[in-house]
Amino acid sequence: MILNDRIFGLLMLVLAVAYGWGAQQFPEPFGGVEAVGPETFPTILSVVLALSSLYLIVKPDPDNAWPMRRTALEMLIAVLVLIGYTLLLEPLGFIASTTLAVGTLCWRMGARPVHAYPIALAGGVVVFVLFNFVLELALPLGLLSFLEAL
Amino acid sequence: METINYLIDGFGVALAPHNLMFALIGAFLGTLIGALPGLGPANGVAILIPLAFTLGLRPETALIMLTAVYAGAMYGGRISSILLNIPGDEPAMMTCLDGYPMAKQGRAAEALVISAVASFMGSLIATIGLILLAPLLADFALTFGPAEYFALFVLAFATLGGITGKNPVKTILAASIGLIIATVGIDISTGTQRFTFGVLKLYEGVDFIIAIVGLFAISELLFFIEERAGAGREAIKVNKLKLSWKDIVHVLPTTLRGSVLGFVAGVLPGAGASLGSFIAYTLEKKVLGKKGRFGEGDPRGVAAPESGNNGASSGALVPMLTLGVPGSGTTAVLLAMLISFNITPGPLMFTQNADIVWGVIAALLIGNFLLLLLNIPLIGIFVRLLSVPPMYLLPMVTMIAFVGIYAISHSTFDLYFMIAFGIGGYLLRKLEIPLVPVILGLLLGPEMEKNLRHAMQLSNGDWTVLWGSGLAIGLWAVAILGLVLPVFVGPMLRRRMKAGVQSD
Repeated sequence: MILNDRIFGLLMLVLAVAYGWGAQQFPEPFGGVEAVGPETFPTILSVVLALSSLYLIVKPDPDNAWPMRRTALEMLIAVLVLIGYTLLLEPLGFIASTTLAVGTLCWRMGARPVHAYPIALAGGVVVFVLFNFVLELALPLGLLSFLEAL
Repeated sequence: METINYLIDGFGVALAPHNLMFALIGAFLGTLIGALPGLGPANGVAILIPLAFTLGLRPETALIMLTAVYAGAMYGGRISSILLNIPGDEPAMMTCLDGYPMAKQGRAAEALVISAVASFMGSLIATIGLILLAPLLADFALTFGPAEYFALFVLAFATLGGITGKNPVKTILAASIGLIIATVGIDISTGTQRFTFGVLKLYEGVDFIIAIVGLFAISELLFFIEERAGAGREAIKVNKLKLSWKDIVHVLPTTLRGSVLGFVAGVLPGAGASLGSFIAYTLEKKVLGKKGRFGEGDPRGVAAPESGNNGASSGALVPMLTLGVPGSGTTAVLLAMLISFNITPGPLMFTQNADIVWGVIAALLIGNFLLLLLNIPLIGIFVRLLSVPPMYLLPMVTMIAFVGIYAISHSTFDLYFMIAFGIGGYLLRKLEIPLVPVILGLLLGPEMEKNLRHAMQLSNGDWTVLWGSGLAIGLWAVAILGLVLPVFVGPMLRRRMKAGVQSD
């Protein structure tokens, strides 16, 4: 059973209908109706998307295998690390959050932790120095903000 | 004559010391990006755009640097093809055929030098072609009205999958996803809010730079994790160079043929660099017949595809600069940068921003010489960098992507958006839905709608105006051909390309 393309086609069909319906709800623009209003182009697009997703449902391509168990878990970890990186970037500061995030990514991709974290720290420091002092673009200091007073 | 004057002015721009410095930096970074497996040219240029933007570079400097990156990436792609048998990107695939056997026979240094010279010739000839052809095409494009432009955009999407593309419907689907994302935000001409859901951040629409970096860089990271390719592969050691002038002269005719073919393939819609290098290689095989030892490490088998793909990559700049319609992923990314500097690409750019256009073209010529100089003596450095395993490289690249996007607006909201695009990009690639049409849709969406609107205003709402002129009909016809042809010719061409690779 070929599922990937069918499910994706179905999702896109739902999107096309919702998007096309949404476009019809736009308030009439100031100054009256014109041949091409704010809804015209979206309406065309929703029709094109609906037709091509219908084709995909009817004539799907063979499936690619999805990652299973461990690999799927590793990928989930990677996404969580990226979200964590974003969350911690401002509170912890660039250097600390980079060390954690990049180090964890290197480690999960196969590097030994004793190598991964120091390399991540070094990378973070180099980029921080380059941005703050050479390029004069401020990256968040976070934990190290006491240095600002110096 | 006019062209020569412009070109001289262009050299004035490109030879300004700081522009020259950025060209050199770009050429170096580009070669690096091309050489490192898992960091294709489109990906690499995409990550550098936010940096060029936040550095506050002037548009011409930024564009010169990124064109040098683009040219450099095409040079660099061959290094991993020859030493690792892994093409840095699709067009470099054909270089593996004879490059890797040469390296295995202990002639890696010769293969690298010959391919550098072939790349140089390919770029040089194609840049000369660009100089001759671009102003003519720009003049011609001035006669385009809004209806013709609308048809041209449709053509760009239709031919984007290329003749070798697999499923044209997936290209259309991808393009409409991109165009749909582009409609989010406040409608420029009526002020209507479209699909903003009251979120203030969405009023200005989706920033395509965030989308591009997410789609390319973050999805690449996820792919590497899935394939567990963290450790990388062992590269072949490079021997001491034993190459005489005679060897270079020997491959010269091959290089010339490859360059011209590549340029033509680059300019034509739907062909692109992959086909450029493929045609150059197969034609050379036909021309030489039994005299060549293709697939067993013939130097001409390295020179032909390399000159072809570099010729095509410079050729691909012709439609991008003159019509504002890119034909490949990397030129789409370059277009993104132009738009973010508020420069509308297209025929008017040749008159309104002549200094930028000709500066870039001159930079392409200068960059090419810089690249040749960089690539022959410094080849050792690039080879050493190849041994950096992806398990360190990709997390670092991810960090650079984060820094670049964060530096644009200092908002973490953009970073979440980038991650979301990355996951989306991974899912699309898994379903074999091409990403380039999505990006092109994001970029061209506003222009496409604007032209549709203008055409309708001029015709008082008569839709037939869209195919009202001979030119417009011609463009529609090519667009339809671009969709129909791959269905018939595609499987045959793909089979041949595959057969070529496997017989090796």
